[in-house]
Amino acid sequence: MIIQHKEKIASPDTIKEAFKGLGYICSDDIAMSVYLACHLQKPILVEGPPGVGKTELAKKIAEYLSATLIRMQCYEGLDEAKALYEWKYGKQLLYTQLLKDQLGDVMNGAKGLDESVSRLHQFGDIFYSDEFLEPRPLLQALRQKDGAVLLIDEIDKADQEFEAFLLELLSDYQVSIPEIGTIKAKSKPIVILTSNNTRELGDALKRRCLHLYIPFPEPKLEQEIISVKVPELNTELQKELVAFVSELRTMALKKVPAVSETIDWAKALLLLNVHELDQQWIKSTLNLLLKFQEDIEVIEPEIRNIMNKSKRL
Amino acid sequence: MQKVLGDFIHALRQAGLPVSPAETLDALHASQLVGLKNPLLLKSALGMTLAKTQEDFIKLDQVFDHFFSLNTGSDNTAPNPDPVSNQDNIESPKPEQQDPEKNQSQERVPTPPDTPSSQLALQLINNEQTAIETAIAAAAYQAGATTMQMFTQKGVVSYRIMKALGEESLNSELSALAKDNKNSELIHNIRNKQTKLREQVKEYVEQQYLLYSKNIGKQLVDDNLKKVKLSNVDFSYYQQMSKLVTKAAKQLATQHGRRKKTSKRGTLDVRKTIAANAAFDGFLFHTKWKSTRIERPKVMVICDVSGSVSKMSRFLLMFLYSLQDVLPKVRSFVFASNLAEVTKNFDEQDIEEALSIIMKKWAFMPTDYGRALMDFKDLALDDIDNKTTVIMLGDARNNYSDSHAKIWKEVYQKSKRVLWLNPEGHYNWDSGDSIMSEYSPYCSRVEPCGSINDLTRIVGSLLKHS
Repeated sequence: MIIQHKEKIASPDTIKEAFKGLGYICSDDIAMSVYLACHLQKPILVEGPPGVGKTELAKKIAEYLSATLIRMQCYEGLDEAKALYEWKYGKQLLYTQLLKDQLGDVMNGAKGLDESVSRLHQFGDIFYSDEFLEPRPLLQALRQKDGAVLLIDEIDKADQEFEAFLLELLSDYQVSIPEIGTIKAKSKPIVILTSNNTRELGDALKRRCLHLYIPFPEPKLEQEIISVKVPELNTELQKELVAFVSELRTMALKKVPAVSETIDWAKALLLLNVHELDQQWIKSTLNLLLKFQEDIEVIEPEIRNIMNKSKRL
Repeated sequence: MQKVLGDFIHALRQAGLPVSPAETLDALHASQLVGLKNPLLLKSALGMTLAKTQEDFIKLDQVFDHFFSLNTGSDNTAPNPDPVSNQDNIESPKPEQQDPEKNQSQERVPTPPDTPSSQLALQLINNEQTAIETAIAAAAYQAGATTMQMFTQKGVVSYRIMKALGEESLNSELSALAKDNKNSELIHNIRNKQTKLREQVKEYVEQQYLLYSKNIGKQLVDDNLKKVKLSNVDFSYYQQMSKLVTKAAKQLATQHGRRKKTSKRGTLDVRKTIAANAAFDGFLFHTKWKSTRIERPKVMVICDVSGSVSKMSRFLLMFLYSLQDVLPKVRSFVFASNLAEVTKNFDEQDIEEALSIIMKKWAFMPTDYGRALMDFKDLALDDIDNKTTVIMLGDARNNYSDSHAKIWKEVYQKSKRVLWLNPEGHYNWDSGDSIMSEYSPYCSRVEPCGSINDLTRIVGSLLKHS
């Protein structure tokens, strides 16, 4: 059982408080999803715009439960040889060479083909066995004695075939290897899947998961995040900065700034020793928030307006 | 709890959320963990187990508020009877109608009683809201409030509920009480409460209808709209039609979202083969072949946007553009007499907006297929290769001018496939100025195509054979 201490997951509020201690400020929904995932032993499918802390959530869960985090990054063309297991071909070849040398001894005195074959059968078949198995992330997660947190990152980037392949793992925490049989989890891992919505995921996958959508945080929550991540920055500046960013998010941009970008910006302002947010500073650090030249060109002439608007908040 | 959750999920399904039995079980486990005390926690727990997209969550949010306000909200209305007492007693003529019963009760009870004795009356006098609510819920279930099909049934259901609650005996009792003048205040009080009860029942039935049945009627309309000929669809249904088209397109997109692979015959994948045969000491028992993905079809649509065909064109274009996930390379052309490419319009504008501009500009011009084909030749013939599917949507009514079928032949020879969709039925082809038979030899398929169902079928086959 991955949960060593029951009291750690006694209620969503406990989890929320504990995560705060670990430097991860989360909303009630997030805490609830972690609570349910631990109790119902179901995977969580986390969706949301990039940079709102989807991957971070998995890391924090692992840290909180003091479990190993096993991460698998998905990409197009990912197959089971890279995700689940592969045979150690080199060793297998060596083994056949060894077997050849031994063959004479084993067959010594056997009469006729039938007897040779039956003797060969008596000879242990270890060609396809655990010794020659190279475990990949999924198998590693199943084999962890104390359970693990398995992060399957950006599942939407993987092919649909791979998604189908995951179904058995997600619902029963087991995988089938044709040569060996079914391998069951020693202790059920907590599985977190993240998706950026580049494509619609299948219903079968969604059905097996708890669905968690992490939106951009409310200004209040975001300010709390900044104060935990960049505590040296003065509170007034934190407030201004969060208001400015949340105002930016309402504008029609190619890519709106995420929480991670707000944090970067806050760190930069701290480094530059800025005490008050003014037009000049924003202009020179805008490229930390906006990642497209078009966006920067749209925002630059509007900075004063946005500042005024955000002050009114 | 199971019953409550079961009803809630029934309501969710009616609202269009696809909730599977497995998810129902998850939701039950989750709500047992969380408990029913804190509605916000419960909502977020149910949201995680039942709603699997953002849209679904919004729907769940609405249904949740609606569903649970129904069970708790009526407490708030109970303590203040003032708004009701201000209202005139609309039901005043009722006692006269009940005359025969009054006589009967008179016969049964010779001396008028001082206090009413029926259960409902007692409940009303003592203001037992909880008991009344339970009774309403039970009666409503019996009266079929959860299985209403049409809004017209609401009245009947309310009537049945009131009857089950014992309104008749209450009325007769009241008439009996009315014999004595000193009871007038009591009667007035009960009458008020009765009106209020009636409203409560009406409200309850209304909510039940919204929860469970609102979408059934809509479903009926939707099903019919899918079948009806697009040229006959009234303008007022356009909004709904476009929704249906997008929905059908989305369905197709998920069905065909997977890209198929074909194996290239004769090209060995050396790495995989060696790996697969390591067990046999390098003897190649199993061969592994290289494979490639099948490319999506390149589609060119040519739409006649004149007259009656324009409606059809509208929906076909909408359909194809809703399929952008699976059909990224659609080039579209519209014509009446002249032909022009409108691919850019769709890229830059919202589909509805682009369509209305196109229709305004092109509709109601005389058709000339020959002229349009000449334009098409100049614009796009060179881009057609053996991966291109060309779809023509038109009735082939050419106003007796030259058909230029030769160009169409060239298109047919260069492309992978040519589909001709004709909004008219077989029997109309080649009648009047229709010259379908001149083009049809140079088409892989000619199909009559009138409704959304036809469209779905044809575009589906386009994707399947790509």
